[in-house]
Amino acid sequence: MEHSNTHGLDLHCQLILEEYRDMQPVFATMKEVVLTELQKCLSRFNILVTAVEARIKSEDSLVGKLQLKGHKYRTLGDLTDIMGARIITFYSDEVDKIAALMEDLFEIDRENSVDKRKMHELNSFGYMSLHYICRIPRKLYHDPAHPEINEYRFELQMRTALQHVWANINHDTGYKSGVEVPVEHLRNLTRLAGMLELADDEFSRIRRQITDYRRRVQTLVSSGNFDEVGLNGDTFRSYLAIHPFERLTNRIAAINQAEVMQDAPLGYLKVLQGLGFKTLGDVEKLKHDYSEAAYQLALHQLGGTDLDIISSSLALQDLCIAYLIQNGYGEKDLAQFFEAIQGPGPYNQARAQRIIQLAAELQWPTQQQNHG
Amino acid sequence: MNVTINQKGHAYEVVLEGRLDTTTAPKFQEDITPLMQVSKAEIIVDCAKLEYTSSQGLRLFLMLQKSVLKNGGSLVMKNMSAAVKEVFDITGFSNIITIQ
Repeated sequence: MEHSNTHGLDLHCQLILEEYRDMQPVFATMKEVVLTELQKCLSRFNILVTAVEARIKSEDSLVGKLQLKGHKYRTLGDLTDIMGARIITFYSDEVDKIAALMEDLFEIDRENSVDKRKMHELNSFGYMSLHYICRIPRKLYHDPAHPEINEYRFELQMRTALQHVWANINHDTGYKSGVEVPVEHLRNLTRLAGMLELADDEFSRIRRQITDYRRRVQTLVSSGNFDEVGLNGDTFRSYLAIHPFERLTNRIAAINQAEVMQDAPLGYLKVLQGLGFKTLGDVEKLKHDYSEAAYQLALHQLGGTDLDIISSSLALQDLCIAYLIQNGYGEKDLAQFFEAIQGPGPYNQARAQRIIQLAAELQWPTQQQNHG
Repeated sequence: MNVTINQKGHAYEVVLEGRLDTTTAPKFQEDITPLMQVSKAEIIVDCAKLEYTSSQGLRLFLMLQKSVLKNGGSLVMKNMSAAVKEVFDITGFSNIITIQ
């Protein structure tokens, strides 16, 4: 296809531009293939990222590049960023992990790939990403009518979300290298880059610590060292995963040969903490000391009915009720307990009244305490 | 048992009247099945005239809630009599289903 030379390009650059225009369908296919394969790969390895994106270089951008340094390129194939893809991660340590996967997925042109993360000079500002120059291998995609799809290279950037922010802001300043930055701004930019890099490292470190902590908690919970485990959202979830109330639940279910509907009573954490429980050991003690009372309560309530379905959270509900009453908490406290678990409503006070009456019928011991 | 369903956009009001037990549960299930397919349905079950629910009723309420939540909607039960609420309380279903 003939196009007039409206960009002031020499003949050599004009030919590169013509090739670029002719190859648009090829680059469009490359973009689709790369995006699809990236998403499939990340999904297969369960890696969550903030974005996966790809673009084909605009004609204006290519013309600008050719005007500046067109003499460096023999053919369009020498330009490695006509098609570009980018993976933006949450954590810096995921960049390396993804890079390893990309090495398996695509053919990497190592000579031209750059780890800009390692390019910092002491007096430079910069905070950049890992760039691989790749080809789509034939085993991944091949169309005999368009062998160029496996021949043209493309650029794959891997960076964290903060690196992405930095790159965009940096681009917005209009400076592409530290040399061009006026001295009065260089120090501030360097400080900012350092802060972002530090933040990236800290996010990764904190995530590792949280993962380690959860592993330690799971080990402690599985080994039954409950007194050593503080009561919080993570530990309570791990604790519930070992079905600590199953025995009591099954005992209650046996009253009417009931079916048990599984339910994770995570909402009880707030109540248990409000009662002053500090460790999972305290919850174990609740179970140990009040299981019989909780069972008696359930027996009294379900025994005369034909209800043959219960929620697995019923055991913890009745344990808490037994604990509250036998530790001197009153009707108002009980109503607040129901409100904390099931939300505000007109029923809580009446339900608390019924439970107090039932406790009296069961002749539960109560401690004379004022929890006002 | 009578089941009346009033719809306004995504909002559905399900009015129950009578006893929900083994005999009436199949009809109730038939009535609520279309609601299980609706995307983002906001369902309010008015239990003011519901006299009793058996285990079969609890199963159906739970089934309805699961479908509704899966489809991005919500389910709230309201105006329960003391007797009906008692059934939810002593089975632990008050912990699972939103009751106002």
